[in-house]
Amino acid sequence: MTRGLWRLPPWTRAPWLGLRRPAAVVAVLVTSAVLACAVASAPLFLSSARSAALQQQLAGQCAEAGWGRTQGFFAVPPGTPPAEVIAGLDGLRAGWAEQGRRSERVLQVQRAVGAGGNPQAGMLVRDPAGAPVTQPATLFWRPGATGHVQVVDSLDAPGVWLPAGYADAVGARVGDEITVSGRRVAVSGVYTDLFETDPGTYWCDHGDLYLNLVSANVPPPALVLATDQETFAQLAAAAGFAMVTEQVPADATTLSVTRARALAAAQERAARGSPAPAGGVEFLGGGWNGRLDDAIGRAELIAAGLRGPVVPVAVAGALLALALVAAAGSAWVDRRAAEVRLLAARGVGPVPLAGKAALELGVPALAGAALGWAASRLLIAGLGPADDLDPGATRAAVAAGIAAFVVGLAGAAGVAGLRAQGTAERPPGAAPRWPSRVPWEVALLVAAGWCWGLLQTRDAVVSDGGVAQVNGLLVAFPLLAVAGAAVLLARLLTALLPRLRRWAGHRGPAVFLAVNRLAAARLATATLLAAVTLPVAVLGYTATLTATSQTTLDAKVGVQIGATRAVVSVSRFAPTPAIDDVGTLVVRYDGSVAAAAGEGDGRGRRDVQVLAVDPADFASTAFWDESFADVPLPELLAALTGPEIDGRVPVVAAGLPPGDPGLRLGRAPVAAEVVAGARVLPGRRTADPVVLVAAGRLPEVERSAGAGRVAEVWTDGELGPAVDALVDAGGVRSRDLEPADVQQTANFLGLTWTFGYLSALAVFVGVIAVGGLLLHLEARSRTRVTGYVMARRLGLGRGTHLRSLLVELGGVAVTGLALGAAIAAAAVALVYRRLDVDLLRPPTPLLDVPWAAIGTTAAVTVLVPALAALYAQRAADRADPATVLRE
Amino acid sequence: MTATPSGGFTATGLVKRYRRGAEQVSALAGVDLEVAAGELVALVGPSGSGKSTLLAVLCGWETADEGRLAYRGALAGRRPDTLGWPELALVPQALGLVADLSLADNVLLPSRLRGSPAAGQPRAQDLLAGFGLTHLADRLPAQASLGEQQRAAVARALLLAPVVLLADEPTAHQDRGHADRLLDAVADAARAGSAVLIATHDEQAWARADRVLSMRDGRLTAGTSA
Repeated sequence: MTRGLWRLPPWTRAPWLGLRRPAAVVAVLVTSAVLACAVASAPLFLSSARSAALQQQLAGQCAEAGWGRTQGFFAVPPGTPPAEVIAGLDGLRAGWAEQGRRSERVLQVQRAVGAGGNPQAGMLVRDPAGAPVTQPATLFWRPGATGHVQVVDSLDAPGVWLPAGYADAVGARVGDEITVSGRRVAVSGVYTDLFETDPGTYWCDHGDLYLNLVSANVPPPALVLATDQETFAQLAAAAGFAMVTEQVPADATTLSVTRARALAAAQERAARGSPAPAGGVEFLGGGWNGRLDDAIGRAELIAAGLRGPVVPVAVAGALLALALVAAAGSAWVDRRAAEVRLLAARGVGPVPLAGKAALELGVPALAGAALGWAASRLLIAGLGPADDLDPGATRAAVAAGIAAFVVGLAGAAGVAGLRAQGTAERPPGAAPRWPSRVPWEVALLVAAGWCWGLLQTRDAVVSDGGVAQVNGLLVAFPLLAVAGAAVLLARLLTALLPRLRRWAGHRGPAVFLAVNRLAAARLATATLLAAVTLPVAVLGYTATLTATSQTTLDAKVGVQIGATRAVVSVSRFAPTPAIDDVGTLVVRYDGSVAAAAGEGDGRGRRDVQVLAVDPADFASTAFWDESFADVPLPELLAALTGPEIDGRVPVVAAGLPPGDPGLRLGRAPVAAEVVAGARVLPGRRTADPVVLVAAGRLPEVERSAGAGRVAEVWTDGELGPAVDALVDAGGVRSRDLEPADVQQTANFLGLTWTFGYLSALAVFVGVIAVGGLLLHLEARSRTRVTGYVMARRLGLGRGTHLRSLLVELGGVAVTGLALGAAIAAAAVALVYRRLDVDLLRPPTPLLDVPWAAIGTTAAVTVLVPALAALYAQRAADRADPATVLRE
Repeated sequence: MTATPSGGFTATGLVKRYRRGAEQVSALAGVDLEVAAGELVALVGPSGSGKSTLLAVLCGWETADEGRLAYRGALAGRRPDTLGWPELALVPQALGLVADLSLADNVLLPSRLRGSPAAGQPRAQDLLAGFGLTHLADRLPAQASLGEQQRAAVARALLLAPVVLLADEPTAHQDRGHADRLLDAVADAARAGSAVLIATHDEQAWARADRVLSMRDGRLTAGTSA
């Protein structure tokens, strides 16, 4: 009989019958889209994060870091004709050509055969008169090199261009001839030394050729530019060596890991597959761009760290969406109640009924899955870390979308079949079935407890190669706990509805009607309450932890530097008003104190960092968080200006007890007394205690004391004015301290993106909750409108009805908001102390509650039900009583 | 518990037309009708004859295209859509119970919306008991049978002893015993002074009515005179 059923009109015409109930079609379409979006977004997000991690790393380097590059070092026999030299160096280019890529060449001679026949750094240069010049030269050729310098003087002729400073040293002018590695060459141009200009991106990757990056006593060889390859080849043959770089430019701002990997593989193949040089040129060795490999490796590491937290989040989202699809299947039964009941009453089993549902809902489910996939693609493109996705991720997302369609349709049809059968069999007023009374959500709480237990034995945040990675348990635990607690609390609260209903019997009509509506639809009320509680709790949790980790990171950087930025100098100079204007002067000493038993270096001493500060302006510039001490920083600094204690200078310390610490700066003893303490003090750069002392009260410390004196200008503003102030005061700038020098931003991307993805899930659930609210209103609109129309006749005022809707929907929203906030607060309190992204640097995690985000969430949570109430009221007002009450 | 009902209504030449696609349908084609206070009038006729439309016009949910409707006595000069439940109560075909309220709360709702639920409680309990609904009082409409819901709708209409009572097929879903109890209650309301008009196919209702009016194609065809 069952086989024959499929040939009957209710099944053969099912795909068209479904269209007669647009509400059910729309519900399945939308929920299938939500499901497909949830599952497809995970691979897309991971790919997007991988690309962004790669791009952000490369963005901090010269453009060439993201290019394909092969390099070779060659020995060039003296006297080799230029054409033969150039042909001999062509091997690397041929390697790229075999990969189907065209490369750009950079030629250098950084060493030459010396007088004794041994290689030496740079090429020996003689002035026009033939006298040797002390500073050797590096020969450089790259297409357009002479077009990327500031020209002092030039001729349109082949030869070499000298930096102006070197031309002066050599005593050469344009038109003269000098000798480079024993070969005469014309000086056809002079350009401004690159270190005196902002040379731009063209020279970015060649900084080692013109800057003294390692602060060596001897400056690097002068950068001499060859005007053409032939000139270069002549001089290379004279020097005996040449270095060739063949580079394939790539736009690092749009690079995906797949493309980067392909480029990296291509450069390796190009390097390995390069033919041996022709002629007498000999290949000595070579390599390829290792920075690209490093960036790819780190991007993979960041993405791998994300996978742990993202997968459970995606699974949670998918399960939630699947429940929605199943609910849409249930809604189909309601919308097709008459036919479904008739078929069930005539003995049609759940399988054919499920099949009928699948046939009716198949097309909208497929359309929904396609829409969901497209939505996930658009969302990642618009809101994801980067829009450059790996092709594999797109294929995975398509597969996920197809799986979502199949599983979603099976779920919707299965629920529809079972429910259709049950609806026909259950009499009105029958008690709910036992499964609905079992608190299944307790299983979620048990699982959350298990995760929490595991988390106690593992680090919440681990650092793999400097990359911070969130333990997946840190995401799974709150998700499970929040979901379980939200549903359990919703169940418990809705269990109180009968009592609330009795209470409402003594209240006005608005409250009475609202409470009765909530109590009559207890399951819907519990679902709505959980649907509000869940996103509020997850958003509160993720927003707080994101803000906390960012604040903690900033604080670690602030403590490390002491302020936003600092300029360091080893020279001695006095504070000036200009320094006071841009910030404050801090003099840092290597000090030591008498060690307690069991501490110190074995000689009874323990290292400390001593900061001599100006108590008048230190507090206004130094980084400070109120958690660092029990009293404000100005109050601590006031202690520095207090009277001496038995002839000892008052100091403030972090990590030292009150009293005489036995302080020494280097070997010089300083009579000091710790009069106030703090948990953390700004400027702490090592694990040693920090001591603040008023600079004006510190005795002069001789250089011979070995106190490692360093002066620092701390500033909250830009670096430039601080540098100017330091130089104007007579200091020599040694180095700068910027936030990026302290923490590599890319290393913490995984952390930010993990919570960002979790926040996206919360917003996703919030959108679902809003959709659910509208579906709930729509599903009950008929009975609501009928009741409203009749109640109007009975004496119900329009305003009273609107108030009742506001109480009903607003009550659920506000209760959900309160529950969500409480659950989020509890989860944050449990977790945030374990979210230390850098255990080596103080301070420990600083709780930062993002009130603006929480306020926005609260406002939206209250606004949406208010708008929904107005919508429902409008729909009720537009109803025609005669039509409504005749059906 | 309420003032003694007085009045009734007179309808003269009521016409109501609808468009159904290109076709124009006359649901009421000149109905003349008078129902006096204390009178129970039964309106019979086949489905689609215009009974429900007539009740909708009489209660003010629809407006006649032509003709005149006048309520008398204390209701004189009032438009039907401005009349409150104590003045004009009705039992529509779809019953119009509030789905989220129990049967007892539905019956008591007219009193509650007037701010005096306690005052209506005894009468509501009497009606529930009289209609055999006491044991179902806490059930929602969806948890009761259609007949039980219908009895609750009639009880709600009778709660405030209305001046005019209009009921559309009030016994359609009842067994004989419950139908009789409903008709007794409606007849009691008429005896108490209400002007009662019921559209019905129930022959027992015809027997209890003071008058029976027959309707076909939007016109009263028999028993028009009082």
